[in-house]
Amino acid sequence: MNKHRIAAIVWRHWYNFKHSLDRMVDAFYWPAMDILLWGITSVYISESGSDVSQIVLLILSGLVLWQVTMRSQYEITINLLEEAWNTNLMNLFASPLTIWEWIVGISILAFIKMVITVVFAGVLVWWLYQLNILNALSWWLLPFMGLLLIFGWALGFLVSGLIFRFGTRIQALAWTIVWIIAPFSAVFYPLQTLPAWAQRVAAFLPTSYIFEGMRAVLLGNRFDLTSLTVSAILTVVYLAAGIVFFLACFNHAKKGGLARVEQ
Amino acid sequence: MLRKKSAKPVRISLMSPKVLEVKSLSKIFDGGFSLKKMKRNEPTVAVDKISFNIRKGEIVGLLGPNGAGKTTTIQMLLGTTSKTSGRIKYFGKDFDRHHSESLQRVNYASAYTRLPWRMTVRENLMVYAKMYQVAKPKERIETVLELFRMSKYIDKSFGMLSSGQITRVMLAKAMINFPALLLLDEPTASLDPEIATKVRQFLLKQREKYNVSMLFTSHNMSEVTELCDRVVFLRSGRIVAEDTPRGLAKRIQICTVRYVVDGKETAVKVKEKEIAAFLNKLSQEKIKYSEISIDKPTLEDFFLSNSYE
Repeated sequence: MNKHRIAAIVWRHWYNFKHSLDRMVDAFYWPAMDILLWGITSVYISESGSDVSQIVLLILSGLVLWQVTMRSQYEITINLLEEAWNTNLMNLFASPLTIWEWIVGISILAFIKMVITVVFAGVLVWWLYQLNILNALSWWLLPFMGLLLIFGWALGFLVSGLIFRFGTRIQALAWTIVWIIAPFSAVFYPLQTLPAWAQRVAAFLPTSYIFEGMRAVLLGNRFDLTSLTVSAILTVVYLAAGIVFFLACFNHAKKGGLARVEQ
Repeated sequence: MLRKKSAKPVRISLMSPKVLEVKSLSKIFDGGFSLKKMKRNEPTVAVDKISFNIRKGEIVGLLGPNGAGKTTTIQMLLGTTSKTSGRIKYFGKDFDRHHSESLQRVNYASAYTRLPWRMTVRENLMVYAKMYQVAKPKERIETVLELFRMSKYIDKSFGMLSSGQITRVMLAKAMINFPALLLLDEPTASLDPEIATKVRQFLLKQREKYNVSMLFTSHNMSEVTELCDRVVFLRSGRIVAEDTPRGLAKRIQICTVRYVVDGKETAVKVKEKEIAAFLNKLSQEKIKYSEISIDKPTLEDFFLSNSYE
């Protein structure tokens, strides 16, 4: 054992840590997010006084539906990162491929992979906990999943735009961005559990309406169609904004050369 | 006729159609904002109003020292870097307005790009065969891999290939769509001499058989001399010379006369016109040499004397 070589290894990764936003995010973001998300959920469980099986159904349904947004966002972003990691961006965009063709292709892929994940998660919940989410949410599942999917695309294009703008050094956003939104989306607890300021933020997120709707349907309460409409309008606005932002960043990246995105 | 150079000479007439026209092409990179200096950095002029054409079947070399603007030029020609000003025309059509249509007939290989490393060679080439809408893609993939002696690696992961094999797969990708124009950024870098020679022979054959035009960057001067009909020489983003490789070499006009006296070699730089007078002087001074040779200027000499201002 040589103390200099051991020190060299420590320094090697410390230097890297200083230059890597993603590593810093890992160090602080995840513990904060876990404490926040599961802390609020625990508060809700202790205060609700509801039947345990109902709470399990609510949390598991939230988990499965959250996969829709998470997977669709993740697939769009990670597939762009894959091209950058493989230094394949130049090859792709030096071909007749247009950016709109890439957008449509990658969205279809995100949809397919989201369906695979959600079906798998649904089957797992049914097998392990004997809970049938499909049955519990019935036809509501379609608009819920549709809007969550499109919102995931919007987030995916937002982060992909940032990758084109700032390169792979902000790649951590690919797997962190949805979790910034998760506490405000009230995935595992009702909206009123959140403090007032957070509820105001939640009002601008289409996901908060969906998860409120999900709980209303599962608890047999009335779900207002107006909330679904607001969610749909917000989702379309976010998608349009996400794509516009993505295209602007793509064009900006071309000014510096797409090869630089790969660095 | 501009030049003949290949096993079977290819006629490139001034009447041959232009496959690529570049006019006053410029690229200025924004320096960006410096947080340390709290002001914008100076912009960099990477390519400065360059104009050149490539005719059908012509092989043009883009030469210059590092930072001359060769790669930026190729990237602008591919649309992966946006131009600041100027005009690019492929096959007589404006590139801005006919982007996909132009790139359908163009392809590209670089020593510096790769394909997804988890995918097999076949899968990677299938993606690009679909991208270029190649008819009978399976057969075409087998053909292009055969051309580069890569058939046995067809089901191997891209990441498992050696750097020479990777270069050959990149060239196979570049040939997948029967391109009318190939843009090659140092395609033979990292190839061993035998494979590099085969690649050069292959490229000349493609030109001979299908009249493929090529724009070629390389730091291997003998390769450029062997392959290129014409060389566009860049320095600091500007075209400083444009001629055949032999024409550029001739501009140097200085030869090296080497002679051996009593086993000791002496090399003297002499102007081409003054060689006879120099040899006469050696004779007059009764210098008895056992060997003598005259090295004519090469493209490399031109490169070395023109790389820096």
